[in-house]
Amino acid sequence: MSTGLSENLSQDPRQRPTLVLGGKGFTEVTDTVCAVSERRKWPAIWYIAFACSLVLLGVLGACLTYLISTGIGVWGNNMPAAWGFPIVNFVFWVGIGHAGTLISAVLFLFRQKWRTSINRSAEAMTIFAVACAGIFPAVHVGRVWLAYWLFPIPNQMSMWPNFRSPLLWDVFAVSTYATVSSMFWYMGMIPDLATLRDRATGKAKQFFYGLFSLGWSGSNRHWLRFERAYLLLAALATPLVLSVHSIVSFDFAVSILPGWHTTIFPPYFVAGAIFSGFGMVMTILIPCRSAFGLQDLITTRHVENMAKVILVTGSMVGYSYTMEFFIAWYSGNLVEQFAFVNRSFGPYAWAYWTMFSCNAFIPQLFWFKKVRQTMLLAWIVSILVNVGMWFERFVIVVTSLTRDYLPSSWGMFRPTSIDFLTFLGSFGLFFTLFLLFVRFLPMVAMAEVRSVMPQAHGIVGEGHRPFGDYWPDSVHPERQRKPSPEEE
Amino acid sequence: MNHDTAPLWGMMAEFDNVSDTLAAAEKTRDAGFKHWDTHTPFPVHGLCDAMGMRDTRLPWVVLTAGITGALFGLALQYFTNAVDYPFVISGKPLFSLPANIPVVFECTILFAALTAFKAMLVANRLPQHHRPLFKKERFRRATQDRFFIVIEAADPKFDADRTRAFLESLGGLSVEEVEDR
Amino acid sequence: MHTHLIDITKEKRFLGSLGQRLTLGGGVAGIVGLAVSFGLASTSEDGIHRLWWSYLHNWTFFLTIALGALFFVLVEHLAKAGWSVVLRRLSEGVSMTLVLLAILFVPLIFGLHDLYHWLHADLVAQDHVLQHKASYLNQTFFLVRVAVYFLFWIGAAFLMHRNSVKQDQSGDHLLTGKMEALSAPFMMIFALTTTFASFDLLMSLDPHWFSTIFGVYFFAGSFMSFLAFLSVIIVGLQRSGRLTGAITDQHLHDVGKFLFAMLVFWAYIAFSQYLLIWYGNLPEETGWYLRRQTGTWSSLGIVMIFGHFLIPFLFLLSRHIKRRPLLLSLGALWLLVMHWLDLYWLIMPEYDHALTAIPFSLLDLSCLVGIGGFFIAAWAWFLRRCSLIAEKDPRLAESLTFENA
Repeated sequence: MSTGLSENLSQDPRQRPTLVLGGKGFTEVTDTVCAVSERRKWPAIWYIAFACSLVLLGVLGACLTYLISTGIGVWGNNMPAAWGFPIVNFVFWVGIGHAGTLISAVLFLFRQKWRTSINRSAEAMTIFAVACAGIFPAVHVGRVWLAYWLFPIPNQMSMWPNFRSPLLWDVFAVSTYATVSSMFWYMGMIPDLATLRDRATGKAKQFFYGLFSLGWSGSNRHWLRFERAYLLLAALATPLVLSVHSIVSFDFAVSILPGWHTTIFPPYFVAGAIFSGFGMVMTILIPCRSAFGLQDLITTRHVENMAKVILVTGSMVGYSYTMEFFIAWYSGNLVEQFAFVNRSFGPYAWAYWTMFSCNAFIPQLFWFKKVRQTMLLAWIVSILVNVGMWFERFVIVVTSLTRDYLPSSWGMFRPTSIDFLTFLGSFGLFFTLFLLFVRFLPMVAMAEVRSVMPQAHGIVGEGHRPFGDYWPDSVHPERQRKPSPEEE
Repeated sequence: MNHDTAPLWGMMAEFDNVSDTLAAAEKTRDAGFKHWDTHTPFPVHGLCDAMGMRDTRLPWVVLTAGITGALFGLALQYFTNAVDYPFVISGKPLFSLPANIPVVFECTILFAALTAFKAMLVANRLPQHHRPLFKKERFRRATQDRFFIVIEAADPKFDADRTRAFLESLGGLSVEEVEDR
Repeated sequence: MHTHLIDITKEKRFLGSLGQRLTLGGGVAGIVGLAVSFGLASTSEDGIHRLWWSYLHNWTFFLTIALGALFFVLVEHLAKAGWSVVLRRLSEGVSMTLVLLAILFVPLIFGLHDLYHWLHADLVAQDHVLQHKASYLNQTFFLVRVAVYFLFWIGAAFLMHRNSVKQDQSGDHLLTGKMEALSAPFMMIFALTTTFASFDLLMSLDPHWFSTIFGVYFFAGSFMSFLAFLSVIIVGLQRSGRLTGAITDQHLHDVGKFLFAMLVFWAYIAFSQYLLIWYGNLPEETGWYLRRQTGTWSSLGIVMIFGHFLIPFLFLLSRHIKRRPLLLSLGALWLLVMHWLDLYWLIMPEYDHALTAIPFSLLDLSCLVGIGGFFIAAWAWFLRRCSLIAEKDPRLAESLTFENA
C-alpha cells in the first residue's frame, strides 16, 4: 500500500481512472480478498462487534418471544395508529435492502465497473436487510402460526388470499425479491467460492467451499453461459428492484388517507430506497475497508462515487417532498393540505424536520469534494441518511394515521419500550449475519474485479493506457481476430 | 511416456497472462482440436471467438419461463378470486386486472430468474464435484491467477507425445499430463 | 498501434448540402403546413379554436423530443459517459431546437384563452377551487414561468453546445470538465423546470385534476421520444453516407437498450398513476380518467397499452433487432407515433368534455407537418457549420472503439 491512495482521483477526461490501486495484479487481488476470510487470528474489534450483535440478537429473540406469547398489545400500536413501528421498521429495512441489487444489477447494466469492488458486500447486506424486514410484517399479523395464510395454499376451508389487496402484493414482491437476490448473490459467488476452495488448507473449509462452489473449474464454456445468465438476472432484477418498493408504496398509496394517497409514491419510494441502501452500504464499507485492508480495492474514488449516488437519490427524494407539498396546495383539497401542514407544523414536526434535513439537506454536503473524499465526514453523512430514512417512514405512517378525516378520532402514537427494543434487536440480526458473512465468505467479488483490471485486457506493466480500465477488445494491440472454422 | 498407472485423461498447459492465453487458444482452435477447453480465473473477453464457440440459447429459455410465469400469475388470481372463492372487496370487480398486475409481474420475474439460474447450471452440467483436473496441484491457480488450456485425451487428434509437443510450442509456463482419477 | 481505431477525418461528417436541403425543405414544409392549418381552420366553423389544440399538441410533441435531447446531453456529461460521445453532437442539435420552440410558443399566447379555462374570469368566479389556484394559474405568472423555463433550457442547451463546438477547434480537455461541472446543477434545474412545465402546459388543461407523478410521466415520454428520434436520424444520416464508420451497430444497440428501458419506464409510471387513481376511486381524480375511458377514447387507451408498451416491448427485446438499423428505426418510428398519440390522449380529451368521440381532424396532421418541418429545419440549421461529431472530445477514441459486452 505504498502507492498514494489519491492515485485514481484524477478528473482528467483523457484517461479513465484505475479501479485497483497499489499496482496489484491478479495474484495480489486474490490474496488481499482471501486474506479477509483466511486470517488465522481475527482482530479484537471483530469479536467485540460480534459480541454486541449477539446481545442485540438476543434482545430481538426475547422481544419476539414476549410478543408472540403475550400479544400485539405489548407494542404501542393502537387506534388510531394501528400501523406503528412494525411497518416503519419493515419499510426501513426493505428499503435498505435495495442497494445490493441496485449495485449488482442496475450499475451492471450501466457498465459502472467500480461496482465490482462493492457489489458482493452490498448484495449480502441486501439479503440480511430483507431478512430483518421480513420479521416485522410476519409478527405483525398477530397469530404468527397462521402466517401461512398469506400464501395461496389450498386449505380445508377452501379460502384463498385476496389478490386485490396491496398487502398480498407485498408478500409476493418481498418473497420474490428475497429469492431472486439470494440467488443472484449466490450465483455471483460461485467462482469466488471456488477460489477459496482451491486455497483452503483445512478439511472442513475444503469440504464446504467445495460443496457450494459446485465444482466450478473456470471453464470458458461455463463462463459464457454464466455471464449470459448473470446478464439476464441483472436485466430481471432491475425492474424487480423498482417493483418491490413500488409495491411497498402501494400499501400506502392505494388507500385514500391524506398524505398517503399520492401518485408519486412509487418512484419516490424507489428513490428513497436506493438512497437509504447506499447510505447503509457506505456506513458498513467505510469501516470494513480499513479493518480488512481493502483500501486498494474499495478506493476513495469508490466512496466518492457512492457519495454521488447518495446526492442524486437524495435530491430525487427532495424533489418528491417538493411535489407532494406543491400538489397538496395546488389540489385545493383541504384534507390534503391539512395533512402536509400537520406534518411540518403539527405535533410530529420534530420528526418531519429531522427527516427533511437528513434526507434533503445533509446529502447536499456531497457537492463538496472535501466531504466526499474524507472518510469520516462521508461516514457521518451516511449515518444521518439512515436516520433520516427511518424518520421518513415514521412520518408517513404516524402523521397520516393519527390525524385523518375525523378530528374526533385523532390521537397520538406512543411506542412502548418493546417497540424500541425490537427495532434495536433487528440491528443485532443484521450485524450478526453480516459479521459472519465477512468471516466466512469472499466479501469482494474477486473474479469480477479481475475482469475490470487492465491486465484482463492483455495490458501488462505501466504502458500507455488511454482508456484505463475500459480498454476495448477491438483495439487489442497484438491480436488480430481470425474467423473460426465453425463460423465459416 | 506415461509412467502413471492411471489412464491419461488429458494434457494441460499453463499461462500467466491473457495475451498468451488468447494466442494459444487461437492456435489450438486452428490445430483442429474439438475436446478442449480454457480455464481462466475470470471471463476473458475475446476468448469465445478465439476458441470458436457458439452463442448460448439461454435467453430463449428464460423468455419462455417468463411468459409461463405471467400466465401462471394471471390464472392463479383469476381462479382463486373470481372462480373458486368469489368475494367482493372494496367495491372492486372479482377479476380486477389493474390490481392483478403486480402479482403477475412478480411471478414473471420469479419464474424467469429461477429458470435462468437453473438453466445455467444444467447447461454447464453443474454441480460436478469430481474432475480429474482438481487432482492437479497447479490447477488450483485456475481460480486465482493462472490460465490453462486443457486438451482431453478423448479428442480424436489427441496423441500423448504430439499433443505435449504442441502445447509446449505454445510457450506457456508448464505442460502437465492429467491422469483420469 | 490502434489497428481498428477509425480515422474520423476520412468520415463524411458534415451536413453540407443535405443540411441546406433539410433547412429549405423543412422551412417550406413548415410554412405550407401552418398556412394550410390556418386556411383549414379559418374556413370551418369553430376552426380556429380547434387549431389551437392541434397546435399545442404538436408543439408539445416536439418540445418533449427537444427536452429529451437536453436531458441526454446533460446526463451523459454527468455520468462522464464514453460510449455516447459519437452521438452527442447530434443530440446537441436536437436540444438547440428549443430556440425554435420558444419562438413557436409566441403564437400560442393568443390561443391561451381557447386552451386554458382557468383564464375565463366568469368560470373562475363560480369555482372556488380555481379561485384558490388563481395566484398560481393566472396569465402573467404563467407567461413568466414559461419564459423562465425556456430561458434556462435554451441557456443550458446553448452552453453545452458552444463548449462542445469550441472543443472541436481547441481540443482543450478542460472544456469537458467544465461541461461536467455544469451538468450537475443543470440537471437539478432541468428536473424542476420540466416538471412545472408539464403541470402548466398540460396538467392545467384540466385545472381541477392533479397528480404528483405527472412530471415524471412527461419526462418518461420525453426521453423515450428523443431516443426514438435519435435512432431515426442516425439511420437517416448513415443512409446519406454520413458517419457510417463512426456510429456502429454497437452504438445503435445501446440507444436501442435505452429506448427499451424508457418505454418500460413509461409503462411503469403510467401504470402507477392509473392504478393508484383507479384503486383510490376519489371523484376529484377519477374524472380525468373517466373522460379517457368514455366512448372512442377508451380504444385509444387500449392502443396505448399495446402499441406504446406490449408490442414494442416484445419487438425491442431482441438484441438482433436493436443492432439492425432498419429494424431499430422502424421500431423507433412506431414509438414516435405512439408518443404522438400519447400526448393526444393527454391533451385532446380536454378539448371538449361533452365529446365522447376522438375529435381527429386534418389540423392535427397539418400542424404536425408545419411544426415538424420547422423542427427539422432548425436542427439542420444549428448543425450547419459544425461537425456532426464532437471531434476532439477526450473520450472520442473510447466511443469509436466501443464494444457492447
